[in-house]
Amino acid sequence: MDGAYLEIRDLVKSYDGKTRALDRVSLSARRGEFVTFLGPSGSGKTTTLMVIAGFEAPDAGLVRVAGQSMAGVPPHKRGIGVVFQNYALFPHRTALQNVMFPLLMRKVPRAQAARKAAEMLDLVGLADFGNRHPRQLSGGQQQRVALARALVFDPTLLLLDEPLGALDKNLREQMQLEIKRIQRALHVTTVFVTHDQSEAMALSDRIVVFEGGRIQQDATPLEIYNRPRTEFVARFVGDSNLLRARITDPGAGIAEVEGLGPSRVLPQQAQVLPNGQGTLLLRPEALAPAEADAPNRLVLAVEEVVHFGDSALLIGRAGGVTLRARIGGRAAQGIGAGAQVPLGWRPDAAHLIGA
Amino acid sequence: MIALGWLVAMFVAAPLLVVIPISFSDAVSLEFPPPSWGLRYYQAYFADPRWTQPTINSLIIATAVAALTMVLVTPAAFALVRHRFGGKGAVNLLLMLPMVVPHIVIAIGYYAFLSDIGLLQSFPGVILAHTALSVPVAFLVLTASLKGFDRTLERAALSLGAAPWQAFLHVTVPVLWPGFAAAALFAFVQSFDETVVAIFVSGATTETLPRRMFDSIRMQADPVIAVVSTLLFGVVALLALAAMLRRRAGG
Repeated sequence: MDGAYLEIRDLVKSYDGKTRALDRVSLSARRGEFVTFLGPSGSGKTTTLMVIAGFEAPDAGLVRVAGQSMAGVPPHKRGIGVVFQNYALFPHRTALQNVMFPLLMRKVPRAQAARKAAEMLDLVGLADFGNRHPRQLSGGQQQRVALARALVFDPTLLLLDEPLGALDKNLREQMQLEIKRIQRALHVTTVFVTHDQSEAMALSDRIVVFEGGRIQQDATPLEIYNRPRTEFVARFVGDSNLLRARITDPGAGIAEVEGLGPSRVLPQQAQVLPNGQGTLLLRPEALAPAEADAPNRLVLAVEEVVHFGDSALLIGRAGGVTLRARIGGRAAQGIGAGAQVPLGWRPDAAHLIGA
Repeated sequence: MIALGWLVAMFVAAPLLVVIPISFSDAVSLEFPPPSWGLRYYQAYFADPRWTQPTINSLIIATAVAALTMVLVTPAAFALVRHRFGGKGAVNLLLMLPMVVPHIVIAIGYYAFLSDIGLLQSFPGVILAHTALSVPVAFLVLTASLKGFDRTLERAALSLGAAPWQAFLHVTVPVLWPGFAAAALFAFVQSFDETVVAIFVSGATTETLPRRMFDSIRMQADPVIAVVSTLLFGVVALLALAAMLRRRAGG
């Protein structure tokens, strides 16, 4: 495949011979791309990562990195950097010695290895912590050391297995930016595994959504968010209103939507819906306080308001269905339970998913 | 309750501690409390090759036992903790057997076996017999520390370019080092204070210290025994203290 730096084709893996942990997983990544594997636990995302790293052998399928097949290549000859969930720093070595380890394994002279490791620690912002042992470092610092160690030998790929799971929220957001910065600076092709959709949205050039050992969708974050291919993806990524829809006039783009009645949708979407049946995805922020030109209108009987400061989530009922609408924090002032709020949505803010 | 606890502790510990004053006694036989004080039995111990030679023998044997035990137990512990194979339960049981079988039975068994193969009363004979006794203890200690070892450390080492043997050498061994040391120490001590099997299989030139002590007390209640006991007690107490201090310093 042209331009594919990491190429995975038709991976199959079963641990018990019956259920498939991986069911024909195929994907590819360009050089320097940041790809996130997103999915719930047991969806196959970590298994795929372990196959790429060489810790798990697939039953079938192939992995190619920079044009080289990885079949039969043991992990230590793959030259792939891995950051593990619990960091896996060597407890008996200092931060600097941890970062030097891959260089020494590659027979880099000690002095040169020390210099390069120090540079890498500097890059991750830990220049003054080289002499500390892992137990003397905070979670975020250990994370940075692990990152430096996985990058110092110029790996062909960087794999990160839920590396931020153990950190608290603020630190996690800080580390997200840090990882992104370092990844850009080194232009290293990166695969990041997470079950946190906001993390995936924030970091990735592309998101691959896994479920049940299969890839549900492989697209850019915005594409995944705005045009999810399945209901699973729509539910897993972001907040959503999902309503049954039946196309009544494909040409004009008219659909009968559960609870909302006849509504205008995009004709090009309506026309490709199999059997004219499907699910309408309305993101909460697509439901805006009615404007004069909104073709679809409704009145929400508010039951609950959740204020976030910058925005507010209105939860209420319209036409017998429960809907969630996210509106600006200012507009939400004065709205309480029992209020009748007029809202509207535009056809291009909605998305139709095939049944 | 606390008073009762102290009482029990005293009752258990007193016989251990009573040898210390006796070792500084001037009396001609074992006696408590000592009628007069002196260092003559310390002199007797260090000057008499009938005591120093068994001490050296015991050190040689215990060191060899510790080494041989580790050579045998290390692969066994790794295999049993990390792999599944047919007959695993049976292998486990077999390894633990010397712990359950009475020492006297083992002693008689080794007596017959070693005399058949011509190793009775030789160093290799005693070392083999003691190793069989040390294996279960060392195996238990090493298995416990191996179970607590995080294998992602090895995966990390592999991903960083270490061949499996390098990962073992640079990561597994250093991280498990306290476990290895404890297992070897247990094997050493097991051999060093083993008496029953030694009485059966060691000979004049390979006599161990506990056997010498046993013979000595059988023939005459020689107070040198109290000296040996005190010295052993002192060494063990020092080792324990060093281990405790090290742990505290290590945080």
